[in-house]
Amino acid sequence: MNKVTFIIAEKSYVIRTGLIKIINGFPETSVIKEITDAGKLKKIVNNNKPDILIINSKLLDDAHEDIREMFSEKMKTKFVIFVGTKRESEHFSYFDEKISVDDNKEEIIKKLQTIITSKLPEKHKADSVELSEREKEVVKQIALGKTNKEIADLLFISVHTVITHRKNITRKLDIKTVSGITVYAILNNIIDIDEAV
Amino acid sequence: MIISKDTKLAEVIHHNYQLIPIIYRFKIKFGFGDGTVEQICKKNNINTEFFIEIVNLFHNEDYYSTDKLQSFPLKYTVNYLLKSHQYFNRVKLPLIEKLIHELFWEDASNKKNKDILNKFFVQYRKEVIEHTTNEEKEVYPFILEIEKCYSENKTDDLCISKLKHKSVKDYQESHDELNSALLDLKNIIIKYLPPADNSDIIERILTEIFRLEKDMADHTRIENTVLIPVAYKMENELRKKIK
Ligand SMILES: [Fe+2]
Ligand SMILES: [Fe+2]
Repeated sequence: MNKVTFIIAEKSYVIRTGLIKIINGFPETSVIKEITDAGKLKKIVNNNKPDILIINSKLLDDAHEDIREMFSEKMKTKFVIFVGTKRESEHFSYFDEKISVDDNKEEIIKKLQTIITSKLPEKHKADSVELSEREKEVVKQIALGKTNKEIADLLFISVHTVITHRKNITRKLDIKTVSGITVYAILNNIIDIDEAV
Repeated sequence: MIISKDTKLAEVIHHNYQLIPIIYRFKIKFGFGDGTVEQICKKNNINTEFFIEIVNLFHNEDYYSTDKLQSFPLKYTVNYLLKSHQYFNRVKLPLIEKLIHELFWEDASNKKNKDILNKFFVQYRKEVIEHTTNEEKEVYPFILEIEKCYSENKTDDLCISKLKHKSVKDYQESHDELNSALLDLKNIIIKYLPPADNSDIIERILTEIFRLEKDMADHTRIENTVLIPVAYKMENELRKKIK
């Protein structure tokens, strides 16, 4: 399943732990990295391309500059700034959301829920369950015990294309192993139980 | 909660019931009274510090470090791992298999659903047994020999000849396949299996699979982050000495 990924850039262990606990309270989310050192920020975020970055304003030289310019253009990351008490009323125009250490439970949950929800449709679309006819045919051949090469020859496609189909099948069904795909094929009458290897 | 020697063992269980099989693995029997971790460990001839490390590792997965665990004699770790193999193979997997047999559907799909699920599970069980048997017969004994040569500072012919043909590195095999099979089984039951007519059994099967998954992940983690790295380090130092 595709999850909404977070990176948390925050020096304080107490605050980081608190944020992770709140985020883990939402299903379909995952905190993939924690950053405590501003020097590593750019590299880690660019490499991992999280859906959401929560960053303490203290880790930025100037929180009023365009944060997007720090990272690769292709990222669709939403940026959330985390601020201490003093910046309560300040507005940060380049951020999608602002969380304050003073936010109460309802406020912080509402803010996080909104930003997570904005990311969910693209996640769900990516793992849409419907298999294409071609993918069903590949499922059938996998369940019959055929190798990638055999499937490629049979369907007049390249081995590379077979592998791509397999990846998509695994992503859509959330099933990785050949035996698992075989079970799926039998349950859905794609093959008969006696045909399975 | 970080578990210490002065924590009451009963409180540990109240706090996280998933530790039940772990406690059992150390041969502590329930009805152990009101003692602290240290008191009960002493009574049962268990190394308290080792016990605490294992329990904390299982309990505080996210931020617990394996450094301390690496400092114990490997035979402690191997002994614990052997116990969990037994638990997987003799308790948990047979239980899940039995529950699969109990499933039933009122319609004509009954036989097919059961057969296919059973077939998948029997195959998985076979793979687990192959994996654990290989570890018990090959990996663990080799690692214990390395440790023996290392700790007794032996560089005699016997130790040399062992290192000639094998390396701990050969055993850094992946646990991914086994883990994927469990994940697949969960998804098949949650998403694709037609709803069974005794859904209480489905509920039990799923619960058991989730528990097993956590227990196995922990087991694998100990193998990958304690057993193999420590043995590999010993092996390398031995090789240096031999040269
Ligand atoms: Fe093992
Ligand atoms: Fe293993």
